[in-house]
Amino acid sequence: MSLAIAGMGWITPLGSGVDSVWEQLLHGDEAFATTITEEFGDRSYSVFRVPESALKSAAHPRLRRASVISRFAAAAGLDALNAAGLKIDSHNAQRTALIFATSNGGVIYTKRFYRDVVSAGAQSASPLLFPETVFNAPASHLAAILGISGATYTLVGDGAVGLLAIKMAEDLMANEAIDYCLVVGAEEIDWLLCDAYRRWRLLRAAPPIEPFSKQNRGMILSEGAGAILVAREGPFIVECAHPGGYFARRAEAEETLKRILRDLSQGEIDLVVAGANGTFVDEAEYRALKAVVPNAFVYTAKPALGESVGAAGLWQVILAVQALRFAELPPVLHADPACSLRLPRSRMPVAKARRAMVLSCGLNQQAAGLCLAIR
Amino acid sequence: MAQAGNTNESNISARVAVVAAGVVSPLGVGLTETLQSLRNARDCVSPVTRFSVAQCRCKTAGQVPDNRLLAGQDEGRRSRRLHRSSHMMIHALKEVLTQEPHFKPELTIIGTTSGGMSYGERYYRSLRQSEDLRHAPTWIANYPAQKPVIDAQEIFGISAPCQVIANACASGTNAIGHAFECVRSGRYQRVLAGGYDALSEMVFVGFDSLQASTPDKCRPFDRHRTGMVLGEGAAILALENFAAAQERGAPVLAEIIGYGISTDNFHITQPNPSGIGPQQAMEGALQSAQVSAKEVDYINAHGTATVFNDAAEGKAISKLFNGVPVSSTKSMMGHSLGAAGAVEAVFCLLALQHQFLPSNINFTASDDDFDLNIVANEARPAVLHAVLSNSFGFGGTNASILMRSFKE
Repeated sequence: MSLAIAGMGWITPLGSGVDSVWEQLLHGDEAFATTITEEFGDRSYSVFRVPESALKSAAHPRLRRASVISRFAAAAGLDALNAAGLKIDSHNAQRTALIFATSNGGVIYTKRFYRDVVSAGAQSASPLLFPETVFNAPASHLAAILGISGATYTLVGDGAVGLLAIKMAEDLMANEAIDYCLVVGAEEIDWLLCDAYRRWRLLRAAPPIEPFSKQNRGMILSEGAGAILVAREGPFIVECAHPGGYFARRAEAEETLKRILRDLSQGEIDLVVAGANGTFVDEAEYRALKAVVPNAFVYTAKPALGESVGAAGLWQVILAVQALRFAELPPVLHADPACSLRLPRSRMPVAKARRAMVLSCGLNQQAAGLCLAIR
Repeated sequence: MAQAGNTNESNISARVAVVAAGVVSPLGVGLTETLQSLRNARDCVSPVTRFSVAQCRCKTAGQVPDNRLLAGQDEGRRSRRLHRSSHMMIHALKEVLTQEPHFKPELTIIGTTSGGMSYGERYYRSLRQSEDLRHAPTWIANYPAQKPVIDAQEIFGISAPCQVIANACASGTNAIGHAFECVRSGRYQRVLAGGYDALSEMVFVGFDSLQASTPDKCRPFDRHRTGMVLGEGAAILALENFAAAQERGAPVLAEIIGYGISTDNFHITQPNPSGIGPQQAMEGALQSAQVSAKEVDYINAHGTATVFNDAAEGKAISKLFNGVPVSSTKSMMGHSLGAAGAVEAVFCLLALQHQFLPSNINFTASDDDFDLNIVANEARPAVLHAVLSNSFGFGGTNASILMRSFKE
């Protein structure tokens, strides 16, 4: 069963709007890094944040007390529905499913809630904050805003979770009682996350992210959301969403990725939107891509947009659709000149591209992939 | 309402067998202990020992003792670093594979609400109080929600991809329901499904701050109910295409025949008082199974013992079912959140296999707002063919699954 992409929404550190962000990437723009600090922390971290102007469409009474991750998810989800011209009403409220993908969820409110517990005791815990700490709070808000009353799922995982959510959409839509599935991935940044990734030796002190570099200098975290409305008809086909896999150790990531690539590359693959982010992921992807699809063009937007973890897979799918739609790839920024993959070093036409692969290797043992085609 | 398993004529509609199950909960480690506790209507709620509850209204929870959890497990350094959730998942999967050593799942779908939250708490506390952070990388590495699933699979050489569903307290039932749908549609032959959650301070304090948890006993559906107590646990079911299971001679413990899911969009922590969300989930499960309400012999209710949940669920059950026996087994072990739906699915499986009704303990008086046939305080024998299990969660997410005893 193949499904189509009917609409997309994109909230990024380069702003919102699929075509607007795409145009900036084509021009080689990269997000502006800001610094975040914490009162009890002895370090500051560079991050790519979403500008407030990108959240104009996320003003809704339901979001009054919601964490920013819910606002990202709502803005992207609404944009995807608008792009598809779909309005949720009493006829399709139960026939539209929602899958929300995230890795860290509402970390800002979670930290704030627990901070009060640690600093002043359980009696200071806020009943207003607690519900927003639950992983499915953004999905709940989005379902309420849109009026979706049928299947709503929140899927949690690492950077591969966005593609796993699309796989889940494919499985859900095997049931013909569902006409659409809105898949939204979102993440918000907090100092605590940066500190955790730094202790894990995955974070870089300051930009740039240097993809496919031998040094693995690390990534910069970013935030935002991506949304895709999956339908039965549309110009861009999800030919195959791979169920993914996991690797017990980082050294095994390459083999997991190869398996996914082999399963997906039954036909010719013109381009791959990879997840390379300056960490161990890059070498695993490099080796797998060289082994299985050596002739495909390879693009990663992470040097420009940062590593948005739970949102990243959705962003990659949006990038692949845009590349097929406009037959063009943006430049891969800060790439190692010695890298022998076919990376676009400047804005590059890919006129004959018909099929694209998206590959996600997460930082916490999960990997996934999917194959897109233009009709 | 989505009738999740309601495949139309153009789709394959396979029967879905449960061929193995594993469970860890305050009621016991493994099916045998669990069955005994259910039959004896054991109250397994006890004073919280894992963290201070001095400032909380509620002081009790259903807890899996550490000595039971770690018994028989690898004592190596790596094992010691694993989160309690991983140990619970390892126990549950081990029990599944003891029954069905050749079960090779194509997909694993597991529900949880809080992953390795207690490790996140230790990390934050240590940072905040400038304590020793030598173990921080271990805490961080074992915090993600998928980690216990991967840990368990890795130990037993299972390479299936994992989907981790976090639909609050409905997660476990959603995981089983979605797995049922995956097998029923013919897209998968074998899927592992279940849920896990370990007690954590943050979540405990959170429910306490909402005044959802009680300083009293947990009394689901009782007129004098004052709230929930938390619990913990893990459970896994091995689901398989019925024909494939029969072909390879696997024992069919029961069938899953229906799944319903709804989202009521009323409030982030409270159900619609009308009970419309639970009602739609239960109707969806019945329609998907193509059975009538009259054919249901027992309902394992969500029954948290909060005023609002039980009122909404009680009204919905009263409206759809006429006198069917109902119990909330949370009365015996507390609410294990993301694990609850999976643990309670195992209870339903045991009830079907051994033909008895698990009890709703601490029950003193009926609530006039709904008319339920509560299985009060004692388990009792019964003839059971079909049983329904409900789970509802924050965010207005509602899920019901329908199970049937095996028949040719």
